[in-house]
Amino acid sequence: MHMNLLDMNTFFFRSTFPLILLTLFHNIMTSSSDLENPLAASYAPLPDGELPAGNNPTIRRPRKAALFLVVSAFLVLALVALIAGNGPVLRKELNTEVAPPSTTSTPEKVTPLSRGVEKGVSEKSFRPLLGADNSYPWSSNMLDWQRTAFHFQPKKNWMNDPNGPVFYKGWYHLFYQYHPDAPVWGKIVWGHAVSKDLINWRHLPIAMETDQWYDEQGVWTGSATILPDGQLVVLYTGSTNESVQVQNLAYPADPSDPLLIKWVKYPGNPVLVPPPGIDTKDFRDPTTAWKTPEGKWRITIGSKINKTGISLVYDTEDFKTFELLDGLLHAVPGTGMWECVDFYPVSKQNENGLDTSVDGPGVKHVVKASMDDDRNDYYAIGTYDAHKGKWTPDNPTLDVGIGLRYDYGIYYASKTFYDQSKQRRVLWSWIKETDTEASDINKGWASLMGVPRTIVLDKKTQSNIIQWPVEEINRLRTNMTVFKNIVVEAGSIVPLSIPAASQLDIVAEFEIDEKTVNRLNGDDVGYDCVKNGGAAERGALGPFGFSVLATEGLKEHTPVYFYVAKGVDGNLQTFFCADQARSSTANDVDKSIYGSIVPVLKGEKLSMRILVDHSIVESFAQEGRTCITSRVYPTKTINNNARLFLFNNATATKVTASINVWQMNSAHI
Amino acid sequence: MKFFTLFIFLSLQAPLMVIGDRRLIESTCKATPSYNLCLSTLLSNPKSSSGDVSDLGLIMVGATKVKATLAIQRIKTLYRSHPELRRSLNECAQVYMAVVKADVPSAVQALDGGQPKFAEDGMADTAVEAESCERSFSGRGLKSPLTQMNTDIKNVANVARAIIRMLL
Repeated sequence: MHMNLLDMNTFFFRSTFPLILLTLFHNIMTSSSDLENPLAASYAPLPDGELPAGNNPTIRRPRKAALFLVVSAFLVLALVALIAGNGPVLRKELNTEVAPPSTTSTPEKVTPLSRGVEKGVSEKSFRPLLGADNSYPWSSNMLDWQRTAFHFQPKKNWMNDPNGPVFYKGWYHLFYQYHPDAPVWGKIVWGHAVSKDLINWRHLPIAMETDQWYDEQGVWTGSATILPDGQLVVLYTGSTNESVQVQNLAYPADPSDPLLIKWVKYPGNPVLVPPPGIDTKDFRDPTTAWKTPEGKWRITIGSKINKTGISLVYDTEDFKTFELLDGLLHAVPGTGMWECVDFYPVSKQNENGLDTSVDGPGVKHVVKASMDDDRNDYYAIGTYDAHKGKWTPDNPTLDVGIGLRYDYGIYYASKTFYDQSKQRRVLWSWIKETDTEASDINKGWASLMGVPRTIVLDKKTQSNIIQWPVEEINRLRTNMTVFKNIVVEAGSIVPLSIPAASQLDIVAEFEIDEKTVNRLNGDDVGYDCVKNGGAAERGALGPFGFSVLATEGLKEHTPVYFYVAKGVDGNLQTFFCADQARSSTANDVDKSIYGSIVPVLKGEKLSMRILVDHSIVESFAQEGRTCITSRVYPTKTINNNARLFLFNNATATKVTASINVWQMNSAHI
Repeated sequence: MKFFTLFIFLSLQAPLMVIGDRRLIESTCKATPSYNLCLSTLLSNPKSSSGDVSDLGLIMVGATKVKATLAIQRIKTLYRSHPELRRSLNECAQVYMAVVKADVPSAVQALDGGQPKFAEDGMADTAVEAESCERSFSGRGLKSPLTQMNTDIKNVANVARAIIRMLL
C-alpha cells in the first residue's frame, strides 16, 4: 500500500531508462502543482533540504527552481543508472541516509513493515515462566468449576461466532469460529459438531482450514443454505493472503454423509470481492440465501460507509456469480460496521417458525445486525419489499442498532436457522468470557454458545420477538423443588433449600401487592438498570427476584430481578436486570449491571426463567420478551457452596412468588 | 556541487514524509486518553511516518509488548533478589506472559486482518492484567516494586485501545 520513498529510490535504480524518465516527469508535474497548495505540499517531497520539522507552507521555491532541481535530479539519476547498473552499492548508501538507525523501542517484529512474524498465538507459548510455584490467585478448583455442563463449547481453546447452523439428514450441525491453538482469537478455522437434539454433541474434525490464498488469514463467518433438491451450500468470508475480505463458496464433499465431515471449497473462489466504494476490510458474514420473486437466490452482507451501517444485497442463480442490487436492504446512520447480519420472516399469526424464503401478507421480517462498535446484537421488526430488495422498520425510532437487543448482557454474532424437522427458527449466539486472558490461559478455553433459543413474533405486542430456550433443554431437568405462594416482605431475603445450585433451571411468577401499588403516588423519575445502582438501590416496588450463585451471607451473589416503577400517569413500567457487581470477590472480572425495560400487558403476572450453568446465567423475562446473559466468576460460590436466595429489596410492597427449581443434568458435550 | 546538493535532497525525502504525516499522528493522538504519551511513543518510531491509523495502532501494540517484556525481565530479577515477594511476582509473571503471548499477538493478527474488535479486546485485557499485577502486591499489604511499570503499561494499552477503536 505505502510505497515509501526508499522503495521509490530503489525502484528508480532498478528500472529501465524510459521508466525513470516517465516517473520524473510525473514528479515534475506533482511537485509544481503541489507548490500551489500548502496542505498538499506538506505531504509531498519538496526539493528543499532546509525545511524545519513542521508544516511550513511559507517556504516555497519558484516553480522554475523546482523544475531545475528535478531536471538535475533526472540527469544525476540517469548518470548513476548508467554507471551503477542495478546499483546495489548506491542503494545501500541511500539506505543509510534515508533510514537512520532506529531509536524506537518497538521491536521489529510487530511493526508494520514486517507484519506477520509475531502475529498468531500458539499453545506452546504458555509454559510457566518462573517454575513450579504456581500461585495464580485463581485456584484450579475455581477455574474447573467455571466449565459449563449444558452449554456448547469445544473441548479446549478459543471459539467465537456460530456458523452455518443447519438440520441435515437427521443431524443438527453447528460450525463455529475456532482457534485450535490457543484460548485467544487468532487464525480462525471452522470447528464442527453434530447433535440429534441440540443439547448433546459429538465433536467432529475441523471442517475448513486456512489452506487457500482466499482464506489464508482466516476462514471467517458464513451461513448454510439448503437448496430445493436437498443439496447444501455454504457461503463464508475468507480473509485473503492480503487481508481482503472476500466471500467463498463451499459444499459437502459427500452429500450422502449425514455428518458432513469433508468439505470442498469451490475452485473458482472467491465468488464475491468488495464492491467499489466498500473498504476491503468491511465486507463480511454472508447470510443464508432466500428466494426472490423471480426465483433467484438472494443474500445480504453487512458493511459500512463512513459511520453508516449498511446491508448490501446480492442476487444469484448458482452461488458462483452474483449481481449487486442498486439499493441496500437497509442502512442506519451512526451505527458503524454491521457484522453477522441476519434476515428472516416471522409469522404474524402462528407459533411455528418459517423457512427463510417465506414471504407474504402473513409475515413480518426481522433484520438483526451485530454492532462492531458496541459488541451487541440489535434487531428490528419491519416490512420487506421483495421486488426492491429493501426492508423498512415498523418503528424508525427502534431501528437496527438503536433500538431493541436480542439480549442485554453478553450476546454477540448470533445467527438463526430454520429447523425444518420441527418447523421452528432457532437462534445460536457466541457468549464471550468477561474474565482475564491470563485466567483463560489457565482454564485452557474461552467462550460458550448460549442455549439455542426459538424465535417467534410476540403476538400480543407485535413489536418485539420472543426468545425461549429450545424445548429439548427441559430433558435435562431433574429433581424439581416447588415453592408455592411464598410471601416475601419488603426488605427481606429467603434462602431456598435445594440440593445444589450450580446447574439450575428456575421458573417463577411474581405478584406485587395491588393495594400498595394503588395507594402509591407515581413519580416521573426514570429508572435504568445500568445507571441506577443495581440490586442494592431500593424503590417502592423493587427490586425483587433471585440471587443466584450466592454464598451464605451474600459475600458473593448475582441478583436477577424485576424493578417496577409507577409513573405520574399511574402506569407501571417494569424493568428486568442482572447485577454482577457482587458476583465475585475477585477484582479482575467484569462486574457490569445489565438490563432493560420489559413489556408487561394488563392482567399478566410477572414471570422469569433463569438457567444457571456454572459461569453462565441466562435470564428470560415475560416468557422471553427481554433476555439477559451474564458471565459470572465467583471465588467462593463454587461447588457445594453455591446457594439460591429469593429476595425483595422493595421498600413498600410485599411480593408473592411461586417457583419451580430443577436441578439440571449435564449434557454430553 | 549541484550533484551533491541533489543527493542531499534525495536523501532527505523520507524525513520530509515524517513532517507530512505528523498531522495524522497528532490528530490520532488527540483522540486518545494520553496525548503526550501517544505522541512520544509514535514519533520515536520512524515507521509512524508512513503509516495509516492501523499502522499507528500496531506501533502502539508493539510498545505495549516492549513494556510488558521489560516488566517480565524485571520480575525475573526481583524473583531472585526478593524471595518475600515471590507469590506476587509469580502472579505478575503470569499476567504479563498472557499479555506478551496472547493479547499482543492476537491484537497484531486482528489489526492485520481487519477485525479490530479483537485487537481492542487484547488491549483492554492488557490494562486489566496490569492492574492485576499491581493488586497482587497491594492485596497482600506489600509495597509494589512494579507500580511505575504497571501504570506505564496500563496507559500505553489504553492509548492503543483508543487508536484501535478508530478502526471499528
